[in-house]
Amino acid sequence: MPINKSAFRRYKVIDMLLQNKMKRYPTMQEIIDACYDKLVVDISIETIQKDIAQMRMSPPDGFDAPIRYNRSKGGYEYTNPEFSLLGVQLSDLDIETIKESAELLQLVGGSRVSEKFNSAIEKILTTVLEEFPSHKHREKHVQTMVPPPSRGFEHFDLFYAACIHKQPVSFIHYSYKKRTFSSIIIHPSLIKEFENKWYVVGYSEKHQEVRTFGMDRIFSPFALRKKFVTLHDSTLKSMQQDYYGVFPIPNQPKQQITIEASALATNYFLAYPIHSSQEVEKQSHGSAIIHFELIPTLELTRLFLSHGYHVKVQSPSWYVTFTQKLK
Amino acid sequence: MEKVTPSLLFEISEQEVQNPKMLRVVLTENHTRIDFGYTTPWFYRKGGWIKISPDTYLKLKILNKKFPLLNAEGIAIAPKRLDFQSTEDWQFFSLYFEPIPRIDCEFDMIESDKPTKNDFNYYGVVLNIINGIELV
Repeated sequence: MPINKSAFRRYKVIDMLLQNKMKRYPTMQEIIDACYDKLVVDISIETIQKDIAQMRMSPPDGFDAPIRYNRSKGGYEYTNPEFSLLGVQLSDLDIETIKESAELLQLVGGSRVSEKFNSAIEKILTTVLEEFPSHKHREKHVQTMVPPPSRGFEHFDLFYAACIHKQPVSFIHYSYKKRTFSSIIIHPSLIKEFENKWYVVGYSEKHQEVRTFGMDRIFSPFALRKKFVTLHDSTLKSMQQDYYGVFPIPNQPKQQITIEASALATNYFLAYPIHSSQEVEKQSHGSAIIHFELIPTLELTRLFLSHGYHVKVQSPSWYVTFTQKLK
Repeated sequence: MEKVTPSLLFEISEQEVQNPKMLRVVLTENHTRIDFGYTTPWFYRKGGWIKISPDTYLKLKILNKKFPLLNAEGIAIAPKRLDFQSTEDWQFFSLYFEPIPRIDCEFDMIESDKPTKNDFNYYGVVLNIINGIELV
């Protein structure tokens, strides 16, 4: 039997009274008065008796609360003084930290992931604020980039579930470049976010290899009951660790890429390393030779080119030519 | 407990160049769904427009029966029309018909019995039930 919200609020008042070491053994009238003070509603004796009975029940119906009426003291008590309805005892600092964390989670977590996660985060925030109300208005001191909703993002939950449950997915793909539609069956293994764009990575039956598809170009996905092609762990690990970006340059293995960065560009590479393999050899005049050990991608190339004359690719030679052609 | 017939999805193999391109067929208990992709051609100013006749139907070669259009998503049902804005536009759309029987078959989709080059008629689409993939 689900516990309704108003009943749960009364449970919390009862729990608070039973935990109060300064005023032990609250009487029925004291519980009724406390409920009235905290919740501003009239509560009957019968309701409180039912609440206590419900709290004593085993989960999921109740909380296994060890409540008993102490005849000698004329009030109620927890037979286990360590018991708490919320499971843990929190200090003021703990509570403040939880409130801050919930607010931060809302700022950075919410709309960047799916509606489902957004809704879950809203629930956490609402619960925390209800549990630990604050009278002072909090100003926002953190601003994060929250882009407007993008096309295809509504498929996030389906692909996420497909990755977890290992279900192939059929979808229609539109190629912006070729201006063609295709029917694709992917065996999704990874959902990737890069620069606020979302991608699905997995084995594509049509291409007979691992492919990456932008969610914005995906239409009408259906999860399929079909044998799943699992990617090798090393492939998956490499996709997660050896890329800067999403789309690898075809047929290029993991390799060392070296660039020369001006003093200005070096500041940015030092402040915001783009890959865990980044190694900076700083020169006396402030510029640097920077090495990366990764699989070159189109996004890496685009990043280098975005620095203009401040970044020059030094090696390997094929990549020098590749980059120059894109200028 | 009522037995639920699983929906079946068929990928349509690459056809001759036809615009809109027929991409997938999904057979469910309630409808037959056909997915299409359309790209606007260069020869219409601002890409032109598309619509589908409410009289469109499916016809199975082995049955003398029509399966009429029930609904459309992503395309207007005539007399309404979907106007494009450029010769680089594109549109994914789905047509829903009365459910066809789950048998190996070849069907035609007919928008007009006396078609012009602007009507969306498709002939000889083959469905082999063994190639259908169950939806979850």
